[in-house]
This record gives sequence, structure tokens and C-alpha cells, in this order.
Amino acid sequence: MSIQRLLLSLYPRVWRARYEDEFLELLERRPLSISDGIDMLLGAIDAHLHPQLGTSEMPLREKMAYLSRSLRGSLLTGFCAYVGFVLAGCGFQKLNESHEFLAFESISPFVGTSFHLIVMSAVVSLFAVFAGGLPIVITIIKCAFTQKRGSPFLLLAVPFLALGLYIGSILLMTHRGGDRLPWPLGGLIVFGGIVLVAIVSTIAVCVAVVRSSVSGKLLRFAVLPSSIATAAMALVLLATIFWSLGLQHEAPYLLAGNAGIMRSSTMGTLLRIIAMMALSTGLALSSLWRAASLRSLLLRNASS
Amino acid sequence: MDGSHGGRFSEPSLLILASLAGGAKHGYAIMDDIETFAGTRLGPGTLYGAIARLEESGLIEAQPAEERRRPYRLTVAGIASLREQLASMEAFTALGMRRLASL
Repeated sequence: MSIQRLLLSLYPRVWRARYEDEFLELLERRPLSISDGIDMLLGAIDAHLHPQLGTSEMPLREKMAYLSRSLRGSLLTGFCAYVGFVLAGCGFQKLNESHEFLAFESISPFVGTSFHLIVMSAVVSLFAVFAGGLPIVITIIKCAFTQKRGSPFLLLAVPFLALGLYIGSILLMTHRGGDRLPWPLGGLIVFGGIVLVAIVSTIAVCVAVVRSSVSGKLLRFAVLPSSIATAAMALVLLATIFWSLGLQHEAPYLLAGNAGIMRSSTMGTLLRIIAMMALSTGLALSSLWRAASLRSLLLRNASS
Repeated sequence: MDGSHGGRFSEPSLLILASLAGGAKHGYAIMDDIETFAGTRLGPGTLYGAIARLEESGLIEAQPAEERRRPYRLTVAGIASLREQLASMEAFTALGMRRLASL
């Protein structure tokens, strides 16, 4: 595959269906320079952020259905980003369990304030996700009752079942002397188990949403709580960075040890947590941008 | 006509409209024409990002394909938009030149 085709494959499917032939014809006219390659990359990002591009020749009904599906996809991507963010947050919480951290937060105004900001913003983001997600979940359950389908119930029950299975396994393992397992294995089971529960639960919820008929009105409504959740995630990320910088400045000995996840270095764990928060927030922001763009288009078409 | 249709591509959009004012053209011809009259070379991603936006906004429309090339032409709305934008720029240019003359 030529580099031109490889770069073109980064564009959304609908965009390529409309412009691929003529775009390739243009690219084949002269050698692709590095600046052209970067320009194409930026163009691909832009096309993903504006999924309405390339739909001008679609029949209106098909276009609206496509834009609605894109909005649903953007919201679900934001939800997945949120789950990733929560996992990172769990890592941060685990790190913070040490009484040394807690004691320092109570005596340092800067670090203490940062920590409180993290907690408050995390609660706000959780409520926002519930506010946006609960009406959708209720709709899925209503549809399932109306259509007498059992699979949506099963899919929505997966997170509870997975969590129950995980907790049950940990308790059983502890009861049977699991705390005597060699540390990498024990740590991997605990840590890996949480990640697996999160992945399985997220997939199940996403499949339940995709397979149900959630109205455009509900999807458009969900953009607002999604904005609040994303803003709160960004605030948590910033506060975590400030918390880390404060700690590094005022009590560097706390970050010097090996109190991280699976006995890794504390600083290394903290950096990985921040990196994961940053990636999740970035993904949530780009999904929100896309969702907001689609929402305004769908509203405009609904009113015209 | 507001500039919000253009987004990151608002200047390329104006250049493309101006190029098409000289007659229907396909992508490569638009790129060449802009390089000739404006001295700016649009990247392929920028060019087609702007073409997609202009088409979505109804300011240009695609003609039947000739082999793999698809010419575009201005719509009535595109002509009005270009006229409006150029008139604003003309007024701005005149104001700037008057103020410069007094320096």
C-alpha cells in the first residue's frame, strides 16, 4: 500500500466514499512531501472531528440517521474515556491510602486544597455521567420490556455480575491463603482483575446502547452532562498535576519510595496515572467536540 | 454570511471560492490556480477539508466526474457569499489605505 493510500485510510469511511477517488487522483499528480503528509494527517483529524463532512450527497434521511449514529458513537467514546479516567483515579486513590500522604495533605494548604479539588471534581463528573446516562439506561430497559427482549437486561447486568465475580474471587482467594501468593502474581490478579471488569462492563454497556433505539432527543440532551463530566475530568487532571508538583516541592521523600502499584516506584506510578488521565481527558475532549458539532447540526435540521 | 463555515479553513475557503469564480475546476486545478494568483500552495488535506465544508454549506457543488476528476462550481449562494466577503475586504482595504495616506 502506498503512503498516500495509507494516509487516506485514516479518513472516516463516509468521507472516503465521497472524496477518495478525486483525492487520490490529486495525490498521484506529484510526489508527497513531508508537509503534505502532515497536512493530510491534520485533515484526517479534522474530518473525524466533523463527521458531517462528506455527507453532502447523502439523501437527507440517511444523512440524519448517520449523524445520529455518529453522535451516539461520540457519546459512547466519551463514556469509555471516562471509564479509563476512573481506573487512573482508582490508582491515585490507592496511592493516597498511605497515612503519610493523608497526614501531609492535612498540614499543607496547597497539597490539601488540590486533593479536595480532585475529590470534588471527581464527584461532579460522576454525577454528570449519571445524569446523562440514567435516562438512556431507563430508555433501554423500557424498550426491552416493550419488545420483550432479554438481552438488554443481561448486558446492563454485566457490570454488576463482573464486579460481584471479581469481589467473590478476591474473597475466596484471601480465605484460601491467597495473600500468601508471590507478590507479582497476587498483584497481577488484583490489578488485572479490576481492569478486566472495567473493560467487560464498558463493552457490555456500549453494546446495550448500540442495540437499543435511543431517541435523538436523549442523545442531544446527553451532550450537556457530557460537557460537565469532561470539564470535571480536566479539573481533576489539573488538580492532580498541582498535587504532584506540590508534593514534589514540599515533601519529595513521599514520592521517592516504592509505594506504587505492584510495588513499583511511587513517582513512576504517579506519572503513569497522570498520563492515563491526560489521554482519557484528551479523548473525552475530542469526543465532546465531535458530539457538540453533531448536536448543533441535528438541532438545526430538526428546526428547519 | 458568517465565517463559521470555514473553521480552520476559512482563508482557504475564500481562495477556493475566488478560484471557482473564474470557472468550474477540479481539485488539482484549484490548487494550481490559487498558487498562481495568491502565491499560496494549499496542502491536499487543507484543500479537501475546505472543499468538503463549502459543499456542505451549499456554496459550491460538484459536477459529474470526468474520469477520476470531479470539477466543482459556485452555486448562487456561493456567488453571493464571495461577493459579500470581497465587498467587506474592499471596504477594509479602502479604510486602511486612507489611514495610511494620513501618516
